[in-house]
Amino acid sequence: MDIELLSRPGNAAARVFLAPGEHLTSESGAMIAMSDALTLTTTTHKRESGSVMAGLKRMLAGESLFLNHFSAGATGGEVFLAATLAGDMLRYDLRGENLVVQAGSFVACESGVNVSFGWQGFKSFLSGERAFWLHLSGTGPVILSSFGAIYPVEVDGEYIVDTGHIVAFQETLNFKITKAGGSWATAIFGGEGLVCRFSGRGTVWCQSHNARGFGLEVGPNLKPR
Amino acid sequence: MKTTIEGAPSFAYLHVDLDPGESVVAESDAMSSMSADLAMKASFNGGLFSGLAKKFLAGETLFVNTFTNTTGAPRRVTLVQTTPGNMREVQLNGETICLQPGAYVASTPGLKLGLRWAGFVSGIAREGFFKLTVSGTGTLWYGAYGELLERQVEGEYIVDTSHLVAYEPQLKLKLQLAGGIFSSLFGGEGFVTRVEGRGMVVIQTRSVSGLANWLNPRI
Repeated sequence: MDIELLSRPGNAAARVFLAPGEHLTSESGAMIAMSDALTLTTTTHKRESGSVMAGLKRMLAGESLFLNHFSAGATGGEVFLAATLAGDMLRYDLRGENLVVQAGSFVACESGVNVSFGWQGFKSFLSGERAFWLHLSGTGPVILSSFGAIYPVEVDGEYIVDTGHIVAFQETLNFKITKAGGSWATAIFGGEGLVCRFSGRGTVWCQSHNARGFGLEVGPNLKPR
Repeated sequence: MKTTIEGAPSFAYLHVDLDPGESVVAESDAMSSMSADLAMKASFNGGLFSGLAKKFLAGETLFVNTFTNTTGAPRRVTLVQTTPGNMREVQLNGETICLQPGAYVASTPGLKLGLRWAGFVSGIAREGFFKLTVSGTGTLWYGAYGELLERQVEGEYIVDTSHLVAYEPQLKLKLQLAGGIFSSLFGGEGFVTRVEGRGMVVIQTRSVSGLANWLNPRI
């Protein structure tokens, strides 16, 4: 599987070339163009496992009920994928480890990767982030997207990330939702609120912008519903 | 202090590497990630009354955060803005620069943030009654929605009002209709800002009100 990321970081798209026999799973709506030689099927679950229940969990997580599966026949083929919002894309190759990903950031993965929705690690409802989190495991390439530019942070010790700016992180990291700064006053008035404190060793991928922040800026100019 | 602007021009963000003892002041909620051992403190933007004035009159937040490196080694804080677009770094040596509401991202502690009256027409045209002024000696980072373009004004210049980001304080701004009544209503331009004098203006290539006007009929 050959993955090329185009037009980073402003208007990223992914061009995936599937060799004969390969399969790609993507969120519904991500495909913008594809070779006629690829077969497209749509289900509520991943090819080998899952069920309608898994699809419903995804819907609750704000993702679509459906997933698209692209299969390459004898000649292979290419598919172009894009996210709804302008922004960046990231390709990561999972090698047996686990990745926790912001639900809206998932674009596609190869068949060797398991995607499960409804990860409950950030149990604190106080985190204020209505994003849901996915759990990716297995082996194979994964494509993620974000509204904003994606930058990695190699954590070795401790690092703080505003929860609305997390795209994905390796599950080798420990994390704690804490208040920003040293006091509640700073957390509330400083506008940061609760942040995620990562510790240990691993990578966190952060996004420079988030859709909610931009939406709050545009929102007051829109007419009431 | 070492700073780099990455992600430009579509989604610019700022990495600030603070040396031991250094601080940087940033707009509230501008921090996207930072070393865990950086000290972060919120304070009223210029004092309580000044902060309130800036919040309600100039569209800035009431608070700013000051990040200080109290450790013995360089530490990083990454600062971002809410709108997708470019960011710009400006060195001020005692001079003043005026910013539109919401453009301010961060500055070094030596700079003072103040308010300047923008005129009744400006407020009525929903551009805000006040503008933010930044003065002193230090570095300022500001951003916008879209790319930032700089223009030297010699005499007169017209800028679509929602596209003005920053300008030098000696320039006089006047609001006027774009063309006649017909152009203003149907040409889609409405109010424009007439800039008079000699100095620099910085404009953004997109505008939030433009986006909102595009979205509204579709909601």
